[in-house]
Amino acid sequence: MRLLIINTLPKVHPAAEKAICCLTEKASECMTFYTEDMRITPCIGCNACWLKTPGICAVKDDYEQILKAYLQYDVTLFISDTALGFINYKMKHVIDRILPMATMYTRIENGQTRHVPRYNKEFRFGLLYAGKGNQDYLAHWMSRFCLNFHGISLGAFPIEAWEEVCACIS
Amino acid sequence: MHFVIISGAARTQSKSNTAKIIAAFCEGLQNGGNTSKIWYLSDRKQWKSAKIAFEENENILFALPLYVENVPGIMLEFLACLSAKERPGSRISFLLQGGFPEVSQGRCCEEFLKTLPAQLGCGYGGTFIKGDMFGLSLMGEKMEAKLLQPFIEIGRQFGENGAFRRETIEAFSIPEYLSEEQIRISNGPLRYVQRFAMRYFARRLGCKTKLDAKPFCEKELQETQEETI
Ligand SMILES: Cc1cc2nc3c(=O)[nH]c(=O)nc-3n(C[C@H](O)[C@H](O)[C@H](O)COP(=O)(O)O)c2cc1C
Repeated sequence: MRLLIINTLPKVHPAAEKAICCLTEKASECMTFYTEDMRITPCIGCNACWLKTPGICAVKDDYEQILKAYLQYDVTLFISDTALGFINYKMKHVIDRILPMATMYTRIENGQTRHVPRYNKEFRFGLLYAGKGNQDYLAHWMSRFCLNFHGISLGAFPIEAWEEVCACIS
Repeated sequence: MHFVIISGAARTQSKSNTAKIIAAFCEGLQNGGNTSKIWYLSDRKQWKSAKIAFEENENILFALPLYVENVPGIMLEFLACLSAKERPGSRISFLLQGGFPEVSQGRCCEEFLKTLPAQLGCGYGGTFIKGDMFGLSLMGEKMEAKLLQPFIEIGRQFGENGAFRRETIEAFSIPEYLSEEQIRISNGPLRYVQRFAMRYFARRLGCKTKLDAKPFCEKELQETQEETI
């Protein structure tokens, strides 16, 4: 299993370091992005990735490598801090920028409208969070987010419970 | 009543659907004898005064587009810099709009929005959800005016007591889900019409590839990997 980790926590974060180290050992191949070292700006909502340059984001920063990596790895694990019970804005900026993975076209699946996926890939996304997140809500939001990107949610877990993710990915 | 309206949209004001909806909503507020001042978070220069306005005023409305089932990142960033009010009496309401037609698509975000006022030391004035707004800026002036018309009345009704009333939500925040007939048509003939229209809009915007192009397909990824080796 090839694992992609996107970590928006500071590089020096004992719990995250431990989780990343152990998960890296379990995966056949693992790549970690530390967004602290990257320039990732918020989505500007221009819709260019849907209508002007389909699949390509108009914002030219370090995000494109993440977009490509989503396609290259079997599982993506987001590691985030929390605020107001939800993921914090740094991770939301990362996730908002995932839009080029969907096309502008829509179809109705199980009673709700969804975007037609751009790539023939079933994504698997999981979330590890630090701080006081509302786990039930985060898990619910992850499943909704995955639905829209034709993915499967591995759930949302406190960072200390990283072993739960192992069970989902092995 | 005086209302502070904060747009959580990331798109610049001149292009934002949220901004257009706010304009119509404020027309309704004004028709009812209310006043309002709007801040746009897409312009970071306005953040400082938006924060002060939040602190100093009691009637706050956040208007926002749905972004990946929740609040746009920039609005979360703004919320993170607010402190909970210590003095009681303030109220926060939300006007949430999204691209998909079903109101049910906004429920997950609504669940989060509901928790915010208490965390910020305020009361909750409700969330109004409207879908099918993606095309607002694409469809020409006539259609745009038609789609915005209801927001004038929604704004007027909201202004009566500074909160979203159940009757307003029941009358305008629809449909929760599409009907079976609508689903049949959407997945059938309408799908081709929609695709044709999207391609037309895309060409007008200068798009030169297919809308379902795969710029990072396996072959392209291999090439970039080889380049970096
Ligand atoms: C990054 C991004 C994520 C979006 N996610 C959703 C979504 O989860 N559900 C939805 O109904 N619409 C979604 N939309 C569509 C917007 O909510 C919709 O087009 C809205 O009218 C945009 O308002 P604005 O022009 O003020 O940004 C998304 C748009 C963007 C750019």
